Amino acid sequence: MITTELLTELQAMLSPERVIEGDKNHPLGNSGIVKVYPQTEEEIASILKFANDNGKTVNVEGNGTKKGFGGLTESADILLSLSNYKGIVEHVVGDMTLTVKAGTNFKELQEYLTQFKQKISLDPYCPESATIGGIIAANDSGPKRLGYGSSRDVVIGLRIVYPDGKVIRSGGRVVKNVAGYDMNKLFIGSMGTLGVVSEVTVKLRPLPKYESLNLVLFPQGNMDEIKAFATKLLDSTMEPVTLELLSPSLSERLIGQRCYTIAVGLEDVETSVRYQENFIQSIQPALSELKVLSQQEAQSFWNQFYSLSPNSSTDSTQASLKIGVVNMDVTHVIKASHLLSDSHNLEVEANGGLGHGLCQINLSGSKDDILSAIQQTRELSTKLGGYTVINHLPFALRQEVDTWGKKPSHFFLLEGIKSKVDPNRVLNPKRFVGGI
Amino acid sequence: MMSLLEAELKKDPACTTSLSNYLAKDHPDESKWADCVHCGMCLESCPTYEITGQEQHSPRGRVHLIKSVAEGRLSLNEQFMDPVFACLDCRACTTACPADVEVGGLIEEARGQIRQAMPLTGVKGAVSKVFLQGLFPHQNRLNKLGSLLRFYQKSGMQKVVRKSKLINIMPQHLVDMEAIMPEVKEPVRKKYKDVNVIKSKGETKREVAFLTGCVMDVMFSDINEASINVLTRNGNDVTIPKNQTCCGALHVHAGDRDMGRKLAKQNIEAFKDSDKVIVNAAGCGCALKEYPELFRDDPEWHEKAEEFSAKVEDISKHLYDTGYEIPKAELKTRITYHDACHLAHGQGIRQEPRDLLLNIPGVEMVHMPNSDRCCGSAGIYNITNPEMASAVLDNKMQNVPEDVEMISMGNPGCMLQMAMGVQKHGRTQKIVHTVQLLDWAYQKEDGKGER
Amino acid sequence: MAVKGIKTTDRHILNLANIVGDARSIIYHKEDLIAYDCDGFTLHRHLPKAVVFPNNTEDVAALVKYCSDHQLPFLARGAGTGLSGGAIPLNGEVIISLVKMKKLLSVDFENRRAVVQPGFVNLKLTNSISDKGYYYAPDPSSQYCCTIGGNVAENAGGAHCLKYGVTTNHILGLEVVLPNGEIIEIGANGIPDEPGYDLLGLLTGSEGTLGIVTKITVRILKNPESKKTVLAYFDKVEDGSQAVSDIVSAGIVPAALEMMDKTAIEGVEAAAFPVGHPKDIEAVLLIEVDGIEAGLDEQINQILDVCKNRNVREVRAAKDEAERGRWWANRKTGFGAMGAISPDYLVQDGVIPRSKLPEVLNKINKISEESGLRIANIFHAGDGNLHPLVLFDARIPGQSAKALEAGSACLQACADVGGTITGEHGVGIEKREEMRFVFTDEEIIAQTDIREVFNPDNLLNAGKLFPMPGRCVEIKRDLKEKETAITS
Repeated sequence: MITTELLTELQAMLSPERVIEGDKNHPLGNSGIVKVYPQTEEEIASILKFANDNGKTVNVEGNGTKKGFGGLTESADILLSLSNYKGIVEHVVGDMTLTVKAGTNFKELQEYLTQFKQKISLDPYCPESATIGGIIAANDSGPKRLGYGSSRDVVIGLRIVYPDGKVIRSGGRVVKNVAGYDMNKLFIGSMGTLGVVSEVTVKLRPLPKYESLNLVLFPQGNMDEIKAFATKLLDSTMEPVTLELLSPSLSERLIGQRCYTIAVGLEDVETSVRYQENFIQSIQPALSELKVLSQQEAQSFWNQFYSLSPNSSTDSTQASLKIGVVNMDVTHVIKASHLLSDSHNLEVEANGGLGHGLCQINLSGSKDDILSAIQQTRELSTKLGGYTVINHLPFALRQEVDTWGKKPSHFFLLEGIKSKVDPNRVLNPKRFVGGI
Repeated sequence: MMSLLEAELKKDPACTTSLSNYLAKDHPDESKWADCVHCGMCLESCPTYEITGQEQHSPRGRVHLIKSVAEGRLSLNEQFMDPVFACLDCRACTTACPADVEVGGLIEEARGQIRQAMPLTGVKGAVSKVFLQGLFPHQNRLNKLGSLLRFYQKSGMQKVVRKSKLINIMPQHLVDMEAIMPEVKEPVRKKYKDVNVIKSKGETKREVAFLTGCVMDVMFSDINEASINVLTRNGNDVTIPKNQTCCGALHVHAGDRDMGRKLAKQNIEAFKDSDKVIVNAAGCGCALKEYPELFRDDPEWHEKAEEFSAKVEDISKHLYDTGYEIPKAELKTRITYHDACHLAHGQGIRQEPRDLLLNIPGVEMVHMPNSDRCCGSAGIYNITNPEMASAVLDNKMQNVPEDVEMISMGNPGCMLQMAMGVQKHGRTQKIVHTVQLLDWAYQKEDGKGER
Repeated sequence: MAVKGIKTTDRHILNLANIVGDARSIIYHKEDLIAYDCDGFTLHRHLPKAVVFPNNTEDVAALVKYCSDHQLPFLARGAGTGLSGGAIPLNGEVIISLVKMKKLLSVDFENRRAVVQPGFVNLKLTNSISDKGYYYAPDPSSQYCCTIGGNVAENAGGAHCLKYGVTTNHILGLEVVLPNGEIIEIGANGIPDEPGYDLLGLLTGSEGTLGIVTKITVRILKNPESKKTVLAYFDKVEDGSQAVSDIVSAGIVPAALEMMDKTAIEGVEAAAFPVGHPKDIEAVLLIEVDGIEAGLDEQINQILDVCKNRNVREVRAAKDEAERGRWWANRKTGFGAMGAISPDYLVQDGVIPRSKLPEVLNKINKISEESGLRIANIFHAGDGNLHPLVLFDARIPGQSAKALEAGSACLQACADVGGTITGEHGVGIEKREEMRFVFTDEEIIAQTDIREVFNPDNLLNAGKLFPMPGRCVEIKRDLKEKETAITS
């Protein structure tokens, strides 16, 4: 079937202006010969059913911020964009639950919720353009995961369009639910390889009454001291929502001082935040500096932080890595990343959560240097018993290095699940672990 | 909770239908298991479940089996006997149970059924007969045995036996027990044979009757002596009614309910004229308090038993409730306290003995984790189920703090068992009865020297 | 070579005994097996073929492989405190009891995790780390005796999951024996977001139908700096439930927000752990906030204001830890306590959006009136997780059936307002049919499809979790079995 035929067929299903010719040669890949913008769940279902029945492949995206995240096909037959499938389905203020369509923009959602003094307790990268569906499908999370958890802790219900067009609900609209398998978990982080998430129900949290950001700067860069401080804070009864170690380069970008910095976020009623600030001051190491940002200042720090990640709109050769290690090993990862900039002539910015073990390293520079740096980081994380996943990398480079790393020993289970749900391999082919 | 289907099949209470495999006489009480909703809260409290991990050796498992006999799903056979007799009767499950299921009572009733259906034979039967029927109820025989033991210890024979290889031919658990046998002194019943009332040392505030216990008075007469001292020092005139006998606890535990009833009647009669019956052995006290349970089918004696059991009081609670003189002398010792099952779980007495101990100047109390966990003595359980008793004891000893000089408690059975534990685990602690410590403090105050 | 002390000619029993290598690690006499014919849910009873007690993962794998090779149905069991019948051997399974695998393998305070074997008792974990100021958050009421392996299978909740989440939010890694005997490790080293589908999340709460967990890495938390606990008494149930809704929507996240109604209060006060609730009160809320001491008064005051607005009669604050402990013991033993006022009870586990509390409680009241059975309510109000306890007497013909009907009606009421049929007890056998209240056939098939990936022969814990097409046939078989058992 050539492009025009596919266009015609799909235009018959959706109104013609929502079916356009795709950008087949996007540098990040994951495109489609034809791009479609469904506006209803029925439309999503009919597109998938059409593809399933006709041996077509479908890539799925929201606003495309994660186009560089995995995927070995430059272009599928159809690129299904959910950017037009947006809006709030139900917000029960008193129950603190919210159901939205998957293509809804994350930042718009948070702004909407502000008037009710509520929020979705996720802090993903690129919130201005990322959609809630994309965040959940890619399981994106930020430093505040320490305090509030990640998508798997926040999502209570999903509607998923299966590749054959049937609509399956998982979970529900209540905050506690063990009826049947916890199918929500299967779709969170599945990179859209099992179904198209069409609706998301999340539990909300109250907006904190007060917040502050305590930046503890370590001009000497002594990792033992950094670790000792973090350990002491974690072993106390304080309740930081972030305990993020920033590399000197990232610290310089964000606060203008080039040294290792720990960003301790506090969110609670003001008396409690103040009390914790005092505690931090009391255990602050001798040779460190302490800067406290309150309220809007803290918020603008984070806003800038979330915007630094490479995404589809960045053009130079960049990579973003997600490294998972045991909490305190974050210090090793961040230190190693710092050394990469010299040894590989790269611009490197890195941060990692000392309370949850996830790090992000952003690299920019020449292709070969990036590949080598990825290799080196992956070796380190493996040595530490963890993993490295490439959250962002141009399509050409993804041919040379596996986004997900080695297949796990239980890969046959992942493969088995994929075969059950999407036997014809319609959805996001080769986007996920082990070529799923 | 009962099964829907089985409930529909069943028109009447299980025990009175033909489905039940229980014998008509003295059958287990249905209302006791009806309270059990099988929630499992009892599991972790049970020492035998802790060791075996097996449901049939757990309280709710045993209740389930006992109920299953009534439903006709099980018969009274050897296989059923094992879980029912492996119960330590420690009553820890009674404390843990949210619905107050009387597991202990049920177990004793089931044991009665088993003994009716399958009388003991062979060596076990013979041993049981010697101890339970031939010895405990007969004070004179016990006294003679006591004299023999005294002779055994005093004559140097004990040393000879211990040194010679003779001891090696005794079964291990009997060797262990021999090793910790207390020094046997003259029984108080003998000593006060001709005294009607042992008068209070100060002003008389009340009169109490004292249960000497059978084995207690022979093996632990010094504790009885200490109890009388402590009572008389605190305004109690003490009588020792002559016709009192063994409390029958061991018989009831072993399923010999007829003998239990016989002894109960004798005691109820013996203490007829007393207003208060003071007991210093937790196991005996608990048994006396549970006499009404034995007479469920005998209204006349049931009423007498109710009256009687209301008069029974553990010595620590009696002192705590009526007030006692706080000793002035300092004992300077670090101790820990073990809750005897039949005090803590059986009678709900936990705080009173601790209060006595803490009020002795210089006594420092170290907390024993799981202090109300059974030590494995459980009457004569350590003789009948040595392997399990030994495992229970090992678990108990792990919780005894290292840095104490003494372990205090309120039950002679526990004292023997814990002494064995101290010996077996190479520990150094001295085993004392709570009132002994108090008595020592009084004696020190009076200038009679410590210990 | 045969294991010493085994007296049977059944070759399967002999072979299974060989695997565990010890006569005390297998139960096969009917008399003993009866103790395993049900768990905390007693309306169904079936005898297992045998109960085996593996000592380690390799034992489990070998047992599973044997069962799989010989097509013997099997299932895993912990303490057997489940309330939905998940561990009942419906098909005469070989029960693999994990209670002997009860070690705390390691604790890593710096990285806030502990590794336990599945038979390790929930509360023991907290007790083992409390001296360092840490605890394990999920606290089902049965935590005194339930095992963490069982908690994983059921995705157990508890009173404090309102703020801290349920079991799945605290599991970092699992070692699992698959139904073919293969051992896999997911969430290696307890590191989050392992690449691949979230099998950790899928397995947690799968009610033992996908694999047998043999090692668990859990998150441990630092004790909150301070806790404040209050009891609030209301003269009207409606006021109490409105207060719950108000507290949550006021943006307060209490650590726990529990409610008991009058019948429930009567039960707990008549049982082993009474605390002196007023007898004439219609509802009591047990509210706990925790966190930084400096911030708690503000929260408590806000809660008190809410309660006042809802006509609270009296508020009591816990004086000390001992009093707090008594209040919680009173609450946590609430189900068992019903034994004190009713010979039998049936507990349900529906969840509703919190704002629907008054509406659904009214509905449950109506169900109670219509059935003529008393229904007590003890529940995690803050989560909207209801536990209607239908009180009945199985000895009265027809009452059991009536109780089941009433229980089911309560779940229907929950489903009708957009809720679900179980919040923490699981589906098990009990609520298989009620799954249809919340899922379509297609959605159920989507789930059984996943089961097939793990458990293709359905030998592992078959007949649980999903409604069965041949249900009537099965009930008839049940009945027949029972008759045979009773007449034999």
